[in-house]
Amino acid sequence: MGERARFLKQLEEWGAELAKSALSLREPVMEIPARTLGNTVWDERARMLKLGPEKIRRRFLDVKESRRFMQTVLMLSLIVEAMRADVFPTIRDLYYNGKHTIVFKDPLGRVHRENTWDEQAESNGVIEDIEVATNILREEMGVSADVKGKVVGPIVVRSQGYELDASKFGETALSLPVNVDALEIIKVEASYVLVIEKDAIFQRLVREKFWSQENAVLITAKGMPDRATRRFVKRLNEEYKLPVYVLTDGDPYGIYIYSVYKSGSIKLSYESERLATPNAKFLGVAPLDIERYKIPDQFVIKATDRDVKRAQELLKYPWFQNDVWRKELEYFLKSKKKVEIEALSAHGLKYLHDYIKDKIKNNKFID
Amino acid sequence: MAITYAYEALPVAEWFRRNREIAGFQNPARAMYQTVRELVENSFDATEPYGILPNITVSIRPVDEAKGWYSIYVEDNGVGIPGQEIPNVFGRVFYSSKYKIKQHRGVFGLGLKMVVLYAQSTTNRPLLVRSAAVRSDKIYEYRIMIDTTKNEPIIVDMKEYNNKYKWHGTAVKVVIEGNWLNSKKRIEEYLRRTAIISPYSEIYFKGPDMEMVLKRRTIKMPTPPKEGLPHPKSVDVDTVKQMILESKTATLAEFLAKNFDGVGEGLARSFLEWAALDPNRSVGSLTQDEIVLLVEKMKAYEGWRRPRADWLSPAGQELLEVGAKSILGAEAVFAVTRKPSSYSGYPFIVEAAIAWGGQIAPVDKPILLRYANKIPLLYDEGADVARKVVDEFHWDSYKVKFPAPVAVIIHVCSTKIPYASAGKEAIAEIQEIEEEMKLALRDAARKLRIYLSRKEKEMEMLNRYTSLAKYVDEIARDMSIVTGLDREALANSLYKLIENKLGLTAEELAKHVLSMSSSIKEEAEAAP
Ligand SMILES: Nc1ncnc2c1ncn2[C@@H]1O[C@H](COP(=O)(O)OP(=O)(O)O)[C@@H](O)[C@H]1O
Ligand SMILES: [Mg+2]
Repeated sequence: MGERARFLKQLEEWGAELAKSALSLREPVMEIPARTLGNTVWDERARMLKLGPEKIRRRFLDVKESRRFMQTVLMLSLIVEAMRADVFPTIRDLYYNGKHTIVFKDPLGRVHRENTWDEQAESNGVIEDIEVATNILREEMGVSADVKGKVVGPIVVRSQGYELDASKFGETALSLPVNVDALEIIKVEASYVLVIEKDAIFQRLVREKFWSQENAVLITAKGMPDRATRRFVKRLNEEYKLPVYVLTDGDPYGIYIYSVYKSGSIKLSYESERLATPNAKFLGVAPLDIERYKIPDQFVIKATDRDVKRAQELLKYPWFQNDVWRKELEYFLKSKKKVEIEALSAHGLKYLHDYIKDKIKNNKFID
Repeated sequence: MAITYAYEALPVAEWFRRNREIAGFQNPARAMYQTVRELVENSFDATEPYGILPNITVSIRPVDEAKGWYSIYVEDNGVGIPGQEIPNVFGRVFYSSKYKIKQHRGVFGLGLKMVVLYAQSTTNRPLLVRSAAVRSDKIYEYRIMIDTTKNEPIIVDMKEYNNKYKWHGTAVKVVIEGNWLNSKKRIEEYLRRTAIISPYSEIYFKGPDMEMVLKRRTIKMPTPPKEGLPHPKSVDVDTVKQMILESKTATLAEFLAKNFDGVGEGLARSFLEWAALDPNRSVGSLTQDEIVLLVEKMKAYEGWRRPRADWLSPAGQELLEVGAKSILGAEAVFAVTRKPSSYSGYPFIVEAAIAWGGQIAPVDKPILLRYANKIPLLYDEGADVARKVVDEFHWDSYKVKFPAPVAVIIHVCSTKIPYASAGKEAIAEIQEIEEEMKLALRDAARKLRIYLSRKEKEMEMLNRYTSLAKYVDEIARDMSIVTGLDREALANSLYKLIENKLGLTAEELAKHVLSMSSSIKEEAEAAP
C-alpha cells in the first residue's frame, strides 16, 4: 500500500467511526487537539511553539458546534474524494468545491438558507482541524496552498528533473513549489539567508544586485509566510547551516512575522517542528532603530490601537522574554511610533544596503 | 317682548344650524359618517337589549354624482317602532324612548332628527321609513320631514302594508349631500370596530365601489342592561325639579326613597338630618333656593351606597376576545372586564383587551381602539384619557418591546360617559376612570406576559431544533461519501439523535408551536 493510500484509509476510518456512532444512536463526537493560545506550549529546549495536550470535543448535538461539525464532515468528504480521484486540489479549490447553500424548511414551514461556509478562513480552519485530529498533514493529503515564496541567490535546485539556478533569474525570481521537500538542493554557496517581509523591498534588492554583492540568498513570502516558504527557510538553516536574518517593517506586525518564522504560530503549532527556524535572527527594523538610525519625523507613523494591542500580546510571549526585546517593545508602547522599511531610504537610496550590512557585520540583530 | 319672541322663534332649523358642528354634521364627509353612525346605533339599540341577534344592512348609493348626493339606507331586524310613534320619533327633536337610566348607544333623542334636518337642508328630500313592531299585523311606511319652525313632523306620505311574514324591524332611507371618497375609510373602520365589540351581530355593507360582510362570530350576547333609578349624586337641579313636578305631595324623605337608587327611608332620614333639612316637608313647597341647596347636599353627602351597575352592559371578556381575534386577525387576545366602579354617582365599567400578533403589523406604539358604550370612537384620539394611559403604560415590564404587533381595546360603559368635548369622540380625564383603565390594562398585560414567555420558550426549542436539523442532510451525504453507508439511514439516525436530545419529535414540536395560541392562552387565563 502506497503512502497516499494509507493516509486515505486513515481518513476513511475516522469518518466511519463518526458514522457508525450515529447509526447506533450515539452522538458523533470529534476529538480534536485544541488549536488555541491556551493549548500552545513553549518548548524551551526546542525553542518553538508546540501543541499542548488539550482536546476539544466537537459534538454534533451542540448548537454552538454543529455548524463546524457539518463543515468538518463536508471537508473530510471533499478531501477523501480528491484522494480517491488522485487529484491535488489547493485549499482554495476545496473552498469552492464545498461552498453551497443549505436550504432547510423547519417544522413551521419557514425556510432557512445558509452557506456551508462563507469565507475561506472557515474552510481552511476545518482542514487544519482534520490535520490535527487525524495526525495527517495537509501536504500528505495532497492538499496545497497558494505558495507565495520567491528565492533569488547563489543556490541551485532540481525540480521534476530540471536544474534551476536561482542566480540566473535576472530581475525575476524562482518561485517555490508546493512541496518544498520534493525540491532537491544541489548547491548553495551563500554566506547567509535574508528573509524579507515585503515583496517590493525584495524586488529592489534583486534589481540592485544586493544579493551578489553580499553572496546572500534572498527570500520573501510577501507578508505572512506560508508553510512552504517557512519549510524552505528551515531547511536552509538546518540542513545547510546558513544563518537566517529577517527584515520586516518596524511595527508589531513585522515582529510577529519574524516570530512566526522563528517559533511557529499558535494556529499551526502542531507543525512547528517541520516549519520553525529557532535560529532565525531579527535584523530590523526594530522600534529603537528610529532613534538609532535617526529616521526623520516625516517617515514616522503613529501606531494604531491594533498595533498597540499586538505589541502588548508580544510582550507576553515566552520567547520575547528578554531584556532586549522588552526594551524594544516598551519603547514602542511608550513612543507609539512605527516605520516602514522604506523609511531607511531617507538617508539615500543605498542606505538600506548599509543598514543591512551594518546590522549583520556588527552583530546588531536581535535573537 | 322682543326677547321672548326671539326665544320662541328660535326654530329648530336655527338650532340645528348652530349645533351642526357639535352633532357631527359640519361637512359632507363627516355628515355622511355621522348619518351611518346614528342609524346603525339605533339599530343596535333596537336589537341587542331585547336579546335579538342583530342583522344590519347598510347601503350607500350615489343619487346625483355631480351634486354629491347619496342615498343612505340602513335596515335592521329590531323591535320596530309602533306605527303611531313613527312621526314623532323622526320628526320631534328630543323625542326618545331612552331617557331612563340605563346604558344605551343613543341617549338624547336627537340622532334621527339631525339626520332628517341635515337631509332637508342639503337635498330637501324627505326621510323614508318602513317599520313593523314585533307581532305587528301591519308594516308602516312614512315619508317624513320636519316643520322647522314648529318642531313638528310633516307627514309627506303614509302607507300601510300587510305584514304577512311577521317581519319586524326598521328600514330607513335618507338622501343627503355627502362625500364618499373622504368618508369611505372612516365608515368602513367604524363598522369594522363595531363588529369587534359586537361579534354577535352580522353586518352587511355595500358602498358605491365596495362591499363588506362582517360575519357573525358567536351567538352569545351580553346580558341586557336593566333599567334603574338615578344615583343621588348624579342628578342636577333641572332633573330634580322635573321629578318634583311628578310627586308634589310627597315628603322629602318619601321623595328621596322613591326616586333614587339605593336610598331607603332610613338612609333618606340620615341624609336629611346631616343636611339639616326637614324630612316631613312636602317637596312641592320647596323654594327654588331650597332645591338648589338640596341638590348641592346630595352631591356632597358621603353616606350614599355605591351606584349599582346593573344598568350597564359590558361586552365581556369572551366577546371581546372573539371579536378582536376574528376582525383584527390577532394571534391571541387577552381581555379583562373590571368590576363596576363609579364617579360622581355614575356607575361605570372599564374593559380592556390586548390583541397580539397575527395580522397586526408591528408598530412603535400600540394601536388603540376606543369604545364608549360599545360605540367606536374614531376621532380626537389624542384628547382621550385612554391614549394617555396606553402611552404611559410600562410595556417593557410585560415583555413587550416596540416595535411590536400590539393593539389595545379600551371600552368604557357608563350611564353617563364623561366626554372630553362636545364632539363626543374622546373620554375626559376623570381620575376614577383613568385608574380603572390602568388596572384593566395591567390585568390584560399580565396574561399577555405569561403567553409571551411561554411562546419564547417554545420558539427557543424550535430554534434549537432547527439549528441542528438544518445540517442533517449535508452531514448524512458527506458521511455516506466517506463511508459508503446508506445516506437515508444516516439522516434518520441523526434526526433521531436530535429528537432524543430535545425530548420530542419534530411533529410534536410543530404542533406545539402552532397550537400555542390557544393552549397557552388557556393557561394564561387560568393563572391568577
Ligand atoms: N331602528 C330603530 N328601531 C326601533 N326604534 C328606533 C329605531 N331608530 C329610532 N328608534 C326610536 O326612535 C327614538 C329616537 O331616536 P334618536 O333620534 O336616534 O334618539 P336616541 O337614539 O338618542 O334615542 C329612539 O329612542 C327609539 O325609540
Ligand atoms: Mg339614536
